[in-house]
Amino acid sequence: MSLTAPSPARSPLAGLKRLPEFLVIWVPLLLSAGHVVVFTVWTTWISFTPSTLVPAEGWVGLRNYTNVLATRNWKIAFDNLLLFGCGFVILTALVGLALAIILDQRIRGENVLRSIFLYPMAVSFVVTGTVWSWLLNPGMGIQKLVNSWGWESFRFDWLIDRDMAIWTIVIAGIWQSSGFAMALFLAGLRSVEADLIKAAQIDGAGPVRIYTRVILPTLWPIVIAVMVILLQFAIKTFDLVRALTGGGPGIATQLPALVVYDFMFQRGHLGRGSAAAVLMLLTLLGVLLPYGAWKYYQRRRAANV
Amino acid sequence: MSKISRRAIMAGTAAAVALPGAGRAQGTKPRLTAISQWSAGSDGAAITALGKKFEEHGGVWQHSPVPGFTTEMMNKLRAQIMAGDPPACSQLKGPEIAAWSKIAPTVNLDAIVAAAGYEKVVAPDLARLHKPGGTWSALPLQIYSTNMLFLSKRAMDKAKADKAPVTWADFNALAEKMKSGGVAHPIANGGTRPDDGQKFEAALAGISPAAYRAACMNLDEKALKGPEMKAAFAQVRKIADWMDPNTAAQHFSTNLQRFIAGDMGMLIMGGWAQGVLLNAGFKLDDFMIVPGPSDNTKPVFLLNADAFIFWQRKEADLQAGQKLMAELVMDPAIQTMYSQITGSIPVRTDVDLSGPGWSEGQRRTAAALKEAVAANQAVLSLAHNMAQENGMTAAMIDVITEFVKNRAITPDQAVSRLAEAVEGAR
Repeated sequence: MSLTAPSPARSPLAGLKRLPEFLVIWVPLLLSAGHVVVFTVWTTWISFTPSTLVPAEGWVGLRNYTNVLATRNWKIAFDNLLLFGCGFVILTALVGLALAIILDQRIRGENVLRSIFLYPMAVSFVVTGTVWSWLLNPGMGIQKLVNSWGWESFRFDWLIDRDMAIWTIVIAGIWQSSGFAMALFLAGLRSVEADLIKAAQIDGAGPVRIYTRVILPTLWPIVIAVMVILLQFAIKTFDLVRALTGGGPGIATQLPALVVYDFMFQRGHLGRGSAAAVLMLLTLLGVLLPYGAWKYYQRRRAANV
Repeated sequence: MSKISRRAIMAGTAAAVALPGAGRAQGTKPRLTAISQWSAGSDGAAITALGKKFEEHGGVWQHSPVPGFTTEMMNKLRAQIMAGDPPACSQLKGPEIAAWSKIAPTVNLDAIVAAAGYEKVVAPDLARLHKPGGTWSALPLQIYSTNMLFLSKRAMDKAKADKAPVTWADFNALAEKMKSGGVAHPIANGGTRPDDGQKFEAALAGISPAAYRAACMNLDEKALKGPEMKAAFAQVRKIADWMDPNTAAQHFSTNLQRFIAGDMGMLIMGGWAQGVLLNAGFKLDDFMIVPGPSDNTKPVFLLNADAFIFWQRKEADLQAGQKLMAELVMDPAIQTMYSQITGSIPVRTDVDLSGPGWSEGQRRTAAALKEAVAANQAVLSLAHNMAQENGMTAAMIDVITEFVKNRAITPDQAVSRLAEAVEGAR
């Protein structure tokens, strides 16, 4: 793009030259947007039909929704989503921030460490889930190792404890995603203007004060971005739970995405599954709309100033 | 859709032209497109052997296995049906046969079944499942009982016991003996949903086959709240207390090593565990197989049968393939070959199991089926999707699996939760 100088006279040839750009950008964009919109509308439509094994015609009103909302599975899944969503997003962001601050100290081997911390991101959630299901299994993982060192009374059996099992998913999720949060935070920390820091140093602020009063406040936009990205990770989490706990013990670690899959493909209720999927979408909108509104408000304020 | 079938017809024509001798003489060469979940282990070996037989009879065998749970195979089946291109034949079982045959046309097999005189040699409850609307559209292939009791020889030695338990009271006494004899976990188990479901169905059907039939097969409201249900949950609690809690969501096969070593004592599992045990290199004298506990001392048989359903196709070669496949599946020699690989028993009740290829466990299973049918105690398995459609099964298993994993739920609470779940899923 930068190679072609803007020509003052718009010749048809110039338009033709730019055709590949249009094709490359707009066609995939429209196709993917079309896919998202078409399938969202279709799923919403199916959620109002009596579809079971295959999509069917008809109108049942909100029956699928009331049915899904009344199941224990959905209630447990939604409670878990709140616990897991908050735990995963906040703790991942905190761990990521801590790693970023440590790496920001211009330490030796930063590149190597950064790669190591980022590496879990390259592993699929299924692999993460499977490996952690071994590590966290009291019969063969961490507990057994510590017990074999002589600390016989050591207990770490969250995986089979129905009240704590959801936190094993948080642990595995943090392991996987904190590197990603770290990378974004590190970029943010590095982009803080050196003049600001120098000014603070001249004013006699110590390193802790510089972080809490100067650097972190400028990091807000990145914090929000990280939170929103992590939150949509949390809401659509599926494979991690499937591999780690299988939704168990019992149905203690159900999450909405598992309930959707379960209704659609295991129970043969496309209608109820779609209703659950729409409820998930609404949850996501509940997060994204306030974020959008906040962005809009910020932009308005910036424009007014 | 029309494009695909035209291409298929052209391919068929091309094959007929290319093989003028063989093709023209007997019409088209029979061809079968089939999908199933059987890809590995003894299941994979068995269906591969079936395919070899199909080819020996001059057919073209096109099997595409979809590894994983049955539901994954169903997803492929659903996609193919919606695209108007169903396989000529697919694995499907239980009430799902009736449910799925409502969404796509199936082949009427009545003439082929009648010609083989097959109906006389199939258990009536089983035959009913495979003829939705009164016509045969699916054929059962092999039978398992989901409540066989596998006893570890080494655990029996530790308990100084040599008699297999007959009733639940015997079972509980043996488990206590094993526990005090040094068996860490008297019950060998996995932690999957069907695994938990099997414990419950074995308990209820063993306590009262009539109550099982009324509650789990007919969903009778009164039976669902009956005293037998509470007794069954109480028995499941005992079983759960003897299991290794650390198994989490593991498959039962993960712990077979410990079972054989006598670290775990008794395994309540379908006959397929025999195939898995032998495939893992263990010997038949390492364990014993007997029918699951039954309080009226006559064996209770929880039926689980794998079957093939045949989907309508217009292509002549596929239709010929379906006919050949149907004939093979009903053939006693083929059923013998298949069951000897997987550890199941044949669907035909007239197959002789005294030959050397059969294990003592399989002979006991077949004898149990005969006795159970005579005593009207052969019932359909809930945990393996034979008694109810998947939606109802899943709703009921939810309650059972939660009960197994949560000591705080009392049998009374479980009974009312189960009744509620059934109401909600109706």
